[in-house]
Amino acid sequence: MSAEQAPRTVDGVELAVSELIAGYGGSPVLHGVSIIVKPGEIVSIVGPNGSGKSTLLKSVVGIVEVLSGTIRVGERDVTGWASEEVARIGVGYVPQVDDVFAPLTVRENLEMGGYLLRAREVAANVDRVLGVFPQLARMLTRRAGKLSGGERKMLAMGRALMLAPALVVLDEPTANLAPAIARAVLQEHVRQLAATGASVLVVEQRAKAVLEISDRTYVLTGGQLRMEGTPAELAASNEFVESFLGGSVEGLRAAGA
Amino acid sequence: MVYYITTLLVYGGIDAIACLGLSQQFGVAGVTNFGFIIFQAAGAYTAAILSLPPDSANGGFQQYVLGWNLPFPLPLIGATLIGGLLAVPFAAIVGRRLRGDFAAVGLLVTAVMFNLLVTNFQPFLNGAAGLSLVPQPLQSVLNPLGSAYAWSYSAAAIVLAFVVYRFVRRLTNSPYGRTLRAMRDNDVVADSLGKNLRSLRTSSLVTGGAIAGLSGGLLVGFITLWDPQAWGYAETIVLFAAVIIGGRGNHRGAVLGAILVPLAFEEATRYIPPVPNDANLVPALQWVAIGLLIVVFLWFRPQGILPERRRIIAGSRGVGAAAPTAAIASPSVPESDAGLLDHVAAIPVSARSRYQGDAILACSGLRRSFDGVHAVDGVTLEFAPARLTGIIGPNGAGKSTLLAMLAGTLPATQGRILHRGEDISALAAHRRARGGVVRTFQLASEFKRLTVIENLLTPIPGQRGDSFRGAFLGRRYWGAQERENIERAKAMLERFGLEALADRYAGDLSGGQRRLVEIMRALMTEPDVLLLDEPMAGVHPRLAHQIGMLLVGLCEGGTTVIMVEHELSIMDEFCDPVIVMAEGRVLAEGAMATLRSNAEVVEAYLVG
Amino acid sequence: MSLFVASLGFGLLTAAVLALAAVGFTLQFAVTNVLNLAYSGVMIVCAYIAYAVNAAGVTIWVCALVGIAAGALISLVLNNFVYRPFQRRGTPPVSIVIVSLGMTLIFEFGTQAIAGPTNVSYSMSQGATLQAGSFQLTVAQIALIAISIVMMGVMHLLIRYTRLGKAMRATAANRDLARNCGIRTDRVVMSTWLITGALCGLAGVVFGMNSGTFGATSTDIFLVLILAAVFLGGPGEPYGAMLGALVIGMATEVSAAFIAADYKYVVAFVILIGMLTVRPTGLLGARA
Repeated sequence: MSAEQAPRTVDGVELAVSELIAGYGGSPVLHGVSIIVKPGEIVSIVGPNGSGKSTLLKSVVGIVEVLSGTIRVGERDVTGWASEEVARIGVGYVPQVDDVFAPLTVRENLEMGGYLLRAREVAANVDRVLGVFPQLARMLTRRAGKLSGGERKMLAMGRALMLAPALVVLDEPTANLAPAIARAVLQEHVRQLAATGASVLVVEQRAKAVLEISDRTYVLTGGQLRMEGTPAELAASNEFVESFLGGSVEGLRAAGA
Repeated sequence: MVYYITTLLVYGGIDAIACLGLSQQFGVAGVTNFGFIIFQAAGAYTAAILSLPPDSANGGFQQYVLGWNLPFPLPLIGATLIGGLLAVPFAAIVGRRLRGDFAAVGLLVTAVMFNLLVTNFQPFLNGAAGLSLVPQPLQSVLNPLGSAYAWSYSAAAIVLAFVVYRFVRRLTNSPYGRTLRAMRDNDVVADSLGKNLRSLRTSSLVTGGAIAGLSGGLLVGFITLWDPQAWGYAETIVLFAAVIIGGRGNHRGAVLGAILVPLAFEEATRYIPPVPNDANLVPALQWVAIGLLIVVFLWFRPQGILPERRRIIAGSRGVGAAAPTAAIASPSVPESDAGLLDHVAAIPVSARSRYQGDAILACSGLRRSFDGVHAVDGVTLEFAPARLTGIIGPNGAGKSTLLAMLAGTLPATQGRILHRGEDISALAAHRRARGGVVRTFQLASEFKRLTVIENLLTPIPGQRGDSFRGAFLGRRYWGAQERENIERAKAMLERFGLEALADRYAGDLSGGQRRLVEIMRALMTEPDVLLLDEPMAGVHPRLAHQIGMLLVGLCEGGTTVIMVEHELSIMDEFCDPVIVMAEGRVLAEGAMATLRSNAEVVEAYLVG
Repeated sequence: MSLFVASLGFGLLTAAVLALAAVGFTLQFAVTNVLNLAYSGVMIVCAYIAYAVNAAGVTIWVCALVGIAAGALISLVLNNFVYRPFQRRGTPPVSIVIVSLGMTLIFEFGTQAIAGPTNVSYSMSQGATLQAGSFQLTVAQIALIAISIVMMGVMHLLIRYTRLGKAMRATAANRDLARNCGIRTDRVVMSTWLITGALCGLAGVVFGMNSGTFGATSTDIFLVLILAAVFLGGPGEPYGAMLGALVIGMATEVSAAFIAADYKYVVAFVILIGMLTVRPTGLLGARA
C-alpha cells in the first residue's frame, strides 16, 4: 500500500514558534529561534550535532523549559504547557530514543497511545493506524523492546498517530537505522504520516534524505537559524552544502548523485 | 556525677571512633554500608569472648565460644582485627556492579539477619541474653569501681579517638584518599583511569570495619555487657545521621556529628527523669528526633554542618566559592570558552617507549550486543602507531561502544583486542589504563568534588601514596614524589594556560574547561593510546580547532590517538585515516578525501 | 509429615499477608522508582490506628477499613511532601533510601511514643477451627487468606483492565512517553500512592491479626520478607511480587517445620542476597 492511498483523516494545524529562547537548567541552548509550520506541511530542521535541533522540538512539546518567546499551536498559546497537556490538544511526539513502551506488546503500545480515547474509539483507531502502517498488523503480539530499529520507529509513529494528531513532531526518526531502512522510514513512513493530513515537523541528521520529503527546511547551527528555504533553494546553495556537510561540494554532489 | 561525666566522655570517644570509621567509608569513599553497626558488634563480641574466661567458669550461666581469658590489650586488638576481617565477605556484595540503592538494601538486610542469627543461636554468643560480666581492661591491677579508673578510661577513649582521627586524616589527605574521593564522584571514570575499584572498596570496608571493631571492643570493656539489642539496624542509622549532619567527607564533621547525635541524644539524656507511667516516652521521642534530623538535614543542608573542605594545592588565587552543589552547575557561556587554548604550549611527549610494530592496537571480530541487538557486529581493525585516527558514523553506529570495548569499560561479547601485540581482551579497564590505553568520555566525567589539579593528579601511575600502605606510611614516604607530581600537573595546566583554575572545583567549570580538564587528566597517565569520545562535542568551534591542533601535536610526539567524532570538518582537517562505521560494522577506512568519493560512505553518513 | 502439612497452612497465611505488602511495595518502586523502606513503618502505624478503633469496641473487620484509609492517606503525604521533593531536586537513590530509613524511625518510634512500648492485640474472634487431617485453620485465618486472594484479583483487574492500571503501567515503563500519550502522570503517581498505601494499610492490619500480638517495631523483620519477595519476583513487577510472596511465605514456614523456627527468616535472607548478587532483575523482571 503506498502512502498516497492512506486516508486523509485530520486537518493539519499551524505551528508558530517565535523568538524562542530555551535550554536546560536555566542556561539557553536556543538563542531566539522562530519557525513556522503551515497546516499540512512537512517541515524539516537540519544542523550539526549540538545545534539545538532536539531542544527546539522538546520545547515545542513541553519537555524543555521555555525561557522566553512563544509557541502557538493553531489558535492556542501553549508556551510553558506541561507535555501531557500539549499532547491532549493534538500534538503527537516521537522522541529519538525511548520511543516505545519496551515491556509492552505492539498492540498495548498502540492502545496506550489511545489512552485518551473511549474503548470503542481505541479499537477503531488501532485499525486506522494499521491502515497507515499495515506492516504493524503482523507483529501485534510482539514485545516492543524486541522489534528491530525500523519496526520500532514505525510503532513509535503509529503510537503517536493514535490520537489523530493535527501536528506530529519527529526527533531524528532515522537515528540508529541502517541506510536502507532509514530511507524507508523517511520516504514511506513519514510520508504516510503526512498523508493523514497532519502537519509534520521533523528533525534530521541525514540532511539530504530529509530534503527530499520536505516542503521547507530550516538550518540550525549554534542555537540560531542559519538558513531557511525549499529543498530546491537549499540544494542550490553552496553555503548550505558546505556549512552542513563540510568539505568539497563537488565531491559530495558527485558522490551523492 | 563523676560517673555521669566519665560515661559521657567514654561514649563520646567511642562514638567519635565509630563515626570516623563511617566517615572514611561513606563520606570519603562513598561506600554506603547500612550494615556498619555489625562491625562494631563483631568487635564488641570479639573483645568480650577473648577477655572472658571459658564459659564453664561462671557455673555456665552463659554460653559462648572461645573464652580465652586474654589480658589487655589483646582483646582490643582482636576486636579491631575481626572488624576488619568481617569486611572481606561484604566486599563481595558492594564490589559488584549493582544499583547503589539495591546494594545498600542488601547490606541493611544482612545486618538485620546477623542480629537475628546471633539472637537465636545461643551456644555461639549467648543468644538474646547477650554476654555479661565481661572483664574490664586491667581490672586485676586497677580498681574498676574507683573514679580514677573511670577517668583513665575516658582519657584512653579520647586519646584513641584522636589517634583514629589522625589515622583517617592521614589516609584521606594522601593520594590514596584522593583516589577514594575520585571513586566516590565517578567510579566508572576512576576505573578507566587505572583505579582498581574492587580493591579500593574492599580496603575502605576493611578500614571502616576495623575502626568500628575497635569502637566495639572499647565499648564492651567499659559497660561489661553486650547483647543483640545494642546493635539493632537503627543504630546504624544513628551513625549515618551523625556523619550526614556533621558533614560528609569531613572527619571533623564526623566527630562533631558523633557529639551531636549519638552522644547528645542517646547518652546525655540517659538520666532525664522518666515521664511518670511512661518510661519509654523519652527514648522513643529521641528516635523520632533522629529520623527528623536526617530528613531535615538532607533537605536543608545536605553537605552537613562542616562541609568537606576544598584542598588548596597549587596555591593559586583562583576564586573558589563554596562546595559546588550538584543541582546548580555554574552557567556555561560558550563564547567564553572560545579562546581557552590561545596560549597552549607544546605537550610533553609520553615517556613510554615508541612502538615499532605496524599496529599498536588491533581488534578482531569484536562484537557487543545489548538485549539481542548488535551494537558492534564483528569489527576488525588495526591502528597504526603515532597516528590520529578518526571514527565517524551516524548516531548508533556503534562508535562509542567500540571505544568502550577497546578501553575495557564495556566487556566485549566476542572478539580479541591486542595492545602492542599482547592480548588484553580479558583485562579490566584499570589494567588496560595502566598499560597505556586510556579513554575519555562523551559526557562530562570530571571528578566534580575534586579540584582541577586534583583531577590531574589522580590518574598519575605509580604514586607511592596511592595505596593503603603508602598512605599509612605518611607524607614522609610519598611527599617528595607528590611535590614532583604537583609540579608536573602545574606544568600541564600552564601549557594549557589554565593554571588560574588549579584550585577550583572541577564541577564548577564551564563546559569547554571541563573538556580540557578531561584531556589533560588523560594525558597525565602518559598514555600511548589515547581514546577520545567526541572530545569536541558542544565546545566552541575555535576551541575545537585548537584541540585538534593539540592532538596532532601529540601524535607527532609518538602518541596514538583514536577519536570518535561527529563533525566531518574535523575529520577533514586532522584525522588520517578515518574509519566509517554504520550499523555496528566498519563501512570503509581511508583518507577522508578518498572516503568522500565513496558512494556507500556518503550514503550511510550523509544521506540515508 | 503432619508437621509438614500443618506448616502449609501457616505458609499460606504468611504468603497471604506478604502478598498484600509486597505488591504495594513493588508498585511504588515501579511507578516512582523509590525503594520505600518506610513501608513497614507505615504498616505498623496503620495496624495501631486500627487497634485504637478496635479498642473502642468496633469489630476488627471495620477497623481494617480504617487502616486502609490511613495507609492511603499517610502514603500519599509521604510521597508528596518527602520523596517527591527530594526526587525533583535530583537526590540520588541511595540518599532517598537514607531518607526512607529516617522516616521509618519517625513512624515506628512515633507510634511507640504515643502507644507505649508494650505489645498489643486486637480483640477478635478466631471462629471455629476447620480441620482436614493435620491441616487446620481458623475461620478468621481463612478469611485473611480469602481477603488476600480477592485483593490480588482486584489488583490484577486494576492493572490489566482499567484506565488507571494502563496509565500506571505506561508511567512505570516510560514516564516521558506516557506524558506524550496525554497521561497526567502526576495524578497517576498520586493515585498509585493512594492505592499502594491502601494495600500497605490493609497489610498492616492483617499483619497484626496474623501475629496475634505486635509492637511498634514488629514489622522490622517483616520488611526483610517483603524485600525478599519483591526482589525474587523482580523489583517493579506486581505479578513477580505475588509469586515471590507465595514462594517466600511457603519457604519460611515450611522450613520452620524442619529447622528451628527461629531461623525461618534466614531462608528469605538467603534468597534475597542470592537474587541481589546473581539476578537483581528478579525471576520475572526486565527492568535494569
